[in-house]
Amino acid sequence: MLQEFGNVGLLLIVALVFPLLALGTAFLLRPRDPGVEKSLPYECGVDTVGTTWVQFRASYFLYALVFVAFDVETVFLYLWAIKFQELGTFAFVEMFIFLSILLVGLGYAWKKGALEWK
Amino acid sequence: MIGLAHFLTVAAMVFAIGLYGLLTKRTVVGILMSIELMLNAVNINLIAFSRFITPDVLTGQVFVIFTIAVAAAEVAIGLAMVFRVYRDRNTVHAARLNEMRW
Amino acid sequence: MNIALLTSEIAVLVLGLLIIIFDVLIPRQETHRSLGYIAACGVLAILVHSMTQYGAAATVYQGLFVVDNLALFFKQLFLAATFLTLLFSVEYVEKWIQNSGEFYALLLFALLGMMVMASANDLITMFIGMELMAIVFYALVGFELRSKKSSEAGMKYLMLGAASSAIMLYGMSWVYGFTGSLVLSQIAVKATASPAMLLGMGLMLAGLCFKLSIVPFHMWAPDVYEGAPTPITAMLAMGSKAAAFAVLIRVFLIAFSDLQEYWATIVSLLAAASMIVGIVVAIWQTNIKRMLAYSSIAQAGYILSGLLAGNVAGVKGMLFYAVLYMFATAGAFAVSTAVKNHNGSDEIEGFSGLAQKSPLLAVVMTISLLSMAGLPPMAGFVGKLYLFTAIADKGYLWLVILGFVMSMISVYYYMLVVKTMYSKARDQQEFVVRGSLQVVAVISLLASLFIGIYPGPLAKLANFAAQALW
Repeated sequence: MLQEFGNVGLLLIVALVFPLLALGTAFLLRPRDPGVEKSLPYECGVDTVGTTWVQFRASYFLYALVFVAFDVETVFLYLWAIKFQELGTFAFVEMFIFLSILLVGLGYAWKKGALEWK
Repeated sequence: MIGLAHFLTVAAMVFAIGLYGLLTKRTVVGILMSIELMLNAVNINLIAFSRFITPDVLTGQVFVIFTIAVAAAEVAIGLAMVFRVYRDRNTVHAARLNEMRW
Repeated sequence: MNIALLTSEIAVLVLGLLIIIFDVLIPRQETHRSLGYIAACGVLAILVHSMTQYGAAATVYQGLFVVDNLALFFKQLFLAATFLTLLFSVEYVEKWIQNSGEFYALLLFALLGMMVMASANDLITMFIGMELMAIVFYALVGFELRSKKSSEAGMKYLMLGAASSAIMLYGMSWVYGFTGSLVLSQIAVKATASPAMLLGMGLMLAGLCFKLSIVPFHMWAPDVYEGAPTPITAMLAMGSKAAAFAVLIRVFLIAFSDLQEYWATIVSLLAAASMIVGIVVAIWQTNIKRMLAYSSIAQAGYILSGLLAGNVAGVKGMLFYAVLYMFATAGAFAVSTAVKNHNGSDEIEGFSGLAQKSPLLAVVMTISLLSMAGLPPMAGFVGKLYLFTAIADKGYLWLVILGFVMSMISVYYYMLVVKTMYSKARDQQEFVVRGSLQVVAVISLLASLFIGIYPGPLAKLANFAAQALW
């Protein structure tokens, strides 16, 4: 028991020491030459525009909502897939009924334009 | 040795934190997050009981899967509703939901 | 496994999906009114079909889902409530709500949730049914897109509802941990009065009382009832409440029946508090939906008191009362819907002169309100009689006296509404009522009077259903 936790502790120490070592070496070796350009926030090399606190488009959330709803249903598929061999045809048909109910929901969202980017 | 009591204590703590957040948070989104915490405390409880009390049958763990699915649906509806409230009155502060009073 | 036992649930699901598909197929500009009628016809057909299932006593899915007379009784109540709601909501939906197809489909899914609750024989099934119903109702309460009140009500209902179901789940997890089972009959075998068990039971009672809007868990009810679209308010009062009672009866009379000495005192205090608060606070309300919300809190208190008897007579009283309350509520809300369609407001003031403009609706409203108050010869009187005799036998005489006094007080504010209706009209606008709404009004009127004068058949049916538990 204790030894297993010891392994975890060893990993923790390595995880702490390694980045400190790398950063420390870089700190010792690098030239010190501060400038305006260097203290700007890094955004893939492009100059930043506007403030940080912007409202995101509502469409992101619509996608997220539809995604969350369908994503979680996948949980049930896992259990079904694990026991697939033992469950037989009845469960197979049942799962397809379940999926087709979801499909109706997806089709409805699609038709109503929830998946459109506007 | 980590036993059942440890899990139950953690769950009780998470539940209490959620309850505290529910009562003190000012924004609707914060309240929804607190409720999620409470549901997760339930999940910890159920899995711990399932593991220690009934190790052979997995009823508790199956229950957890259903709770997770239901919680996701609840949050999806909740965020959609936050959206509507924001569009109506430009705020998500719970105290500003005061159109109706007795 | 016998899938035939599940036919009514499957039929409701298929009907809901069909409504969704039709909604997409009908062009946007055209009226979607027909969807409401299709749904109503479908529900009526399922109601008729479910008559054939009486006498069955079997379980499906390894005992998780039970089909007995009690479940069937509640299912028919929900089907009838949904049928009436669908009929009187068509005009309201056309006038105040976009996405009407979605509205009908969601109503059917809520119905499915209630039906699952009625048949739940273990805590998972019960939880799934309850959440299916609750989540659909969160959406439906906030469905009136043009009204700020509606979104506020939806948000409040969602926050409080989700919190209450989390608390109830926490209680369930303790019950599961202590007994090692989620099936009601097995919980009953292993239940002993240990602190953990009592904690779990108490939290579950709190969660269920929230759904029933029992004092002190009633704070959401007035706001949600006021803000929700009127047909949904009706459904909350008729369906959601009865469904929670179905679960309550099963959980407390099967799983926790041996612990009755522990819950009986609390339940009697909760029932008494609901009667007092519901009726006293209702006196000052000026909004009809708010008034009916407080009245429904009091009615829930009356029905809850039947649980104390813990025998066939008590459950029979609860079932009987749930049915007559369903009819009275359908009548009252159908009339409120007609008035809202007419002048766009829910204030009680708006009812002035209704007796001149539409005598039929005024009579229906009067009878429905007096039935809720429990005056003879309306159905409410017989219902209260059954409940009170059942609990008086068990020694809860103080509760009977309290309930009697409170129902006398309630006559006062119900009469205020009646007085407003029979006062002089403020405007001379013509009052148009759609036929389907009138049908609902007449059904509710006849049912309230018929059950009141000739309670025999319904009482016999309720008795028959209650016996399924023992």
